Amino acid sequence: MTYRGQPSSLAAALAIARRDLLEFVRDRRTLVITLLLPMATYPILALATALGLRTATQEIDARTAPAPIHVGLSGPEAARFAALVERTLETTPRSERAGWPADVALADVSQADAESLLDRGAIDLWIVAQPGLLAALRSQRTVPIPVRVSARQPANITLREQFLAFMRTLGRDVTRDRVTSAGLPTTLLEPLDVVFEGDPAAGPPPLKHNVISTLAGGMLVLLTVLTLTGAFYPAIDAIAGEKERGTIETLLIAPCRISDIVFGKFLGVLAITLATLVANVVSIAATAAVAVRYLPQGVVAALPEGALVQATIATIVAFCGMAAVAAATCLAVTTASKSGKEAQNTLTPVILLVSAVAGSALLPGVRTGPLFAAIPFAGQVVVARSALGTGAEEPSGGLALTLAVAVSLLSSLTVTWLLLQLTTLTLTDEDVLFRGPDVAGTPLHRPARRRRPNAVQALLPLVAGFAGLWYTQGLVPDDLRWAIPVQQMLAVLAPLALVGWWQRVDLRETFSWRWPSGDALRSASVMLGAILLGGGLFLLGAAALLAWQGGTTSAEARQLSARLVALIQGQPRWLAWSLIALVPAVCEELLFRGWVLAGFVGDARTRPRLWTAIVMQAAAFALFHLLPERMPQTFVLGLVLGTLVVLTGSLLPAVACHLAHNSMPLAILAIAGDVPGLAAAIETAGSSPAMLPSSVIVTAAAAVAIGSGLVAMGVRAWRQPLEHAQ
Amino acid sequence: MPPEPVIDVAGLVKHYHASDGTVVRAVNGVSLTVDAGEMVGLLGANGAGKTTTLRMLATLLRPTSGTARIAGCDIRTDPVGVRRRLGYVSATTGVADRLSAREIFTSFGRLHGLPDETLPERVAELLEQLDLTGCADRPAGRLSSGQRQRVSLGRALVHDPPALVLDEPTNALDVIGARDLLDLLARLRAEGHAILLSTHRLHEIENRCDRFVIIHGGGVVATGTRESLVADWIRGRDGELEEAFFAAIRKDAAISEPLP
Repeated sequence: MTYRGQPSSLAAALAIARRDLLEFVRDRRTLVITLLLPMATYPILALATALGLRTATQEIDARTAPAPIHVGLSGPEAARFAALVERTLETTPRSERAGWPADVALADVSQADAESLLDRGAIDLWIVAQPGLLAALRSQRTVPIPVRVSARQPANITLREQFLAFMRTLGRDVTRDRVTSAGLPTTLLEPLDVVFEGDPAAGPPPLKHNVISTLAGGMLVLLTVLTLTGAFYPAIDAIAGEKERGTIETLLIAPCRISDIVFGKFLGVLAITLATLVANVVSIAATAAVAVRYLPQGVVAALPEGALVQATIATIVAFCGMAAVAAATCLAVTTASKSGKEAQNTLTPVILLVSAVAGSALLPGVRTGPLFAAIPFAGQVVVARSALGTGAEEPSGGLALTLAVAVSLLSSLTVTWLLLQLTTLTLTDEDVLFRGPDVAGTPLHRPARRRRPNAVQALLPLVAGFAGLWYTQGLVPDDLRWAIPVQQMLAVLAPLALVGWWQRVDLRETFSWRWPSGDALRSASVMLGAILLGGGLFLLGAAALLAWQGGTTSAEARQLSARLVALIQGQPRWLAWSLIALVPAVCEELLFRGWVLAGFVGDARTRPRLWTAIVMQAAAFALFHLLPERMPQTFVLGLVLGTLVVLTGSLLPAVACHLAHNSMPLAILAIAGDVPGLAAAIETAGSSPAMLPSSVIVTAAAAVAIGSGLVAMGVRAWRQPLEHAQ
Repeated sequence: MPPEPVIDVAGLVKHYHASDGTVVRAVNGVSLTVDAGEMVGLLGANGAGKTTTLRMLATLLRPTSGTARIAGCDIRTDPVGVRRRLGYVSATTGVADRLSAREIFTSFGRLHGLPDETLPERVAELLEQLDLTGCADRPAGRLSSGQRQRVSLGRALVHDPPALVLDEPTNALDVIGARDLLDLLARLRAEGHAILLSTHRLHEIENRCDRFVIIHGGGVVATGTRESLVADWIRGRDGELEEAFFAAIRKDAAISEPLP
């Protein structure tokens, strides 16, 4: 009887997930933290909120509710002034009493007692009706009415405002008297009578306080953080824990691919993360249902039932995507760790960083759009917030919401895939797997010499580059002639030189800085093909961008293209070409197709790994260009450039291709002069809804086809990619 | 034509860079074979390259050059095929504390693609064979070192591999535990498994292995049966394997490169 079989990838992954889950469920202490923490958090939060809100609203209500005002009157004309007040109180209809006090109670007070009555609070205000007051009111003058308030009682703004509202109505009555006595009609005072026609449905009354929407946003961020906490412990246990227990080897020698093992680990962590998410949602729902009873009236606006169901589904779908990203993030971060403790030390700052990202979704001005929805950890909060209508906007629904959820989910899956690839690359790295015992500050030790960087090292120059760009923003001059070289230096060359020196890799191996292998004819064919590809891809990309966006681009993109066009037109050709084409082509190829690609490929140059590496460096390349409009185009360009390097074993064809791509705007201007529309189409397209002529598109497609053919002809080792580089 | 050896190592080399930038030649051209039903002892001092060699056989490390075949599968080109035909246990291999022996065997049986119908039967058979039936459902964390090492071995045996590679399996065991384990290995050899076993505790395996391979400084310095090694290295005198071992590595120390 034979016991040897080979499970399918999925079966292997499921077997690992099942084993991990069994192990995790046995770990009672972590299970309690993961699942019961949310069950306790929300009730505590809700109780505190309900109590706080109740006190707050009571205070606000007490301050703003209409109360009777006691007015003390003295002086010879007190009785006649009182009659005026009484008349206004009696004749003003309810609809015109906005802002009034509940009542104005008048009392005759002697001048001697008034001060003490005010101080004791027996009267709120004191008015002395001087002789001639009534006569003055009948004249055409403005009559001062001095109102005394207590110097000892605290200033009561609401009381003053309400008394003023009443006195304005009294003033209107006095004006009517003046108009009538002048023999004029009172309609003189009301030239307009605005009537709303039709029968508008009464909208919901405006919320008294906006506290609850802030709270719901905070709740979503808390949900993000707690979901991440759900992934925290199982992820640490999944790989770093296995290393600590000495069981990781037993998995690595199982008859399946390493990616299947990582996927199985991911499924196990995801299951716990989803369970945490469910525990959180159940706790939120149960708590909300109970807490509503404790909340003061007027702080919660009920969503229509249909909208609530839709919003709940959108939130859950988006957050399931986030659970996947959370599980993959925690796995990717902890894979290089050798022990649970080391993994915790690495993961904790990441959790804090992610909380900051999620929190940024609460900022005013963050709106639902494909752009925000795609950001991991923040996008889901944005989607949920707009679905629930807790942001500045009305609840969004229908197509816009579906699109946002779809984008968020797609982004989550992509990020998850990339992170799992990174995990696989890190897990199989021999130096990481069999490195010595955990030394505090291991990352600060200069690593051993190696041929190419590993997957983690691949990302270091990018991180250093972004940091360099961010912290030196103030130093970058506005003038593009200087800005381009300075930025390339800060973002690419300096980090690359620093990281390359520190990591002690074989520079020639890493950067593939050699002529394409094969005879001169084949090399020439590859180089020519690469140039045609670059030029063709630029035109196709510009055409696609114009067709897709119809000329509506973001302010940043418009600004950039305007500056570039100005640079091209205002500088000598050689300088413009160096700045737009030569410098970026060389620098970016060194970074992305040199360092990053080599890092992701690593030493095991299997075919799937090569393709994964190409996709990952292209994604990094696209993200590096920051402007979302440029990302699809730069991603495709990154794929082509990466493939060129892998197929030819040389960086030079990629440099040529990139150079041709970036030279196109200049070439177009040189050939066609400043054709209207063309100049605007240069570099991410301008603001006019131009369309490239179809002849240009056909030529570009032909250039891409011929270029691909030339490259294929020139690559001798088409069937054994990079064998010569072994 | 004689049958192909189950474990066939041909010129394995593993170099890596130390953190000071020097090249460490951990394994420098090791060749050896193990036939079915044979137990071969891989002897060497600490740092001789035993573990690195065995890790390459287990596809945990990629050789710098050279290769090896396990039951016909090449470790460079068909690592998954190798893993299907190999059982590997090292001194540092642990067992999952929170799972029982039965659960560990079952999960690895699934990973090896054993069908669900026959899996419980195979697991029961293995528990019986390893004398673990009495504690089959106890969490492995509460087992003795000897029992844990047998669980570890059982995990490597669940798919009944033709080749077994064991890296210092008796390290953590006391005298009795070590003897039990070696008795078990003898039974497995009798069943036709090819076993490659590394150790630096010579007296334990002196009378148990069919042949020995002595490596030092990353290369093979002597190979043969106990009798032939003794005869070759301590000529004319009757002696122990240990003396032959010392003689072999001393002679080698004079001509080979210094240890890293």
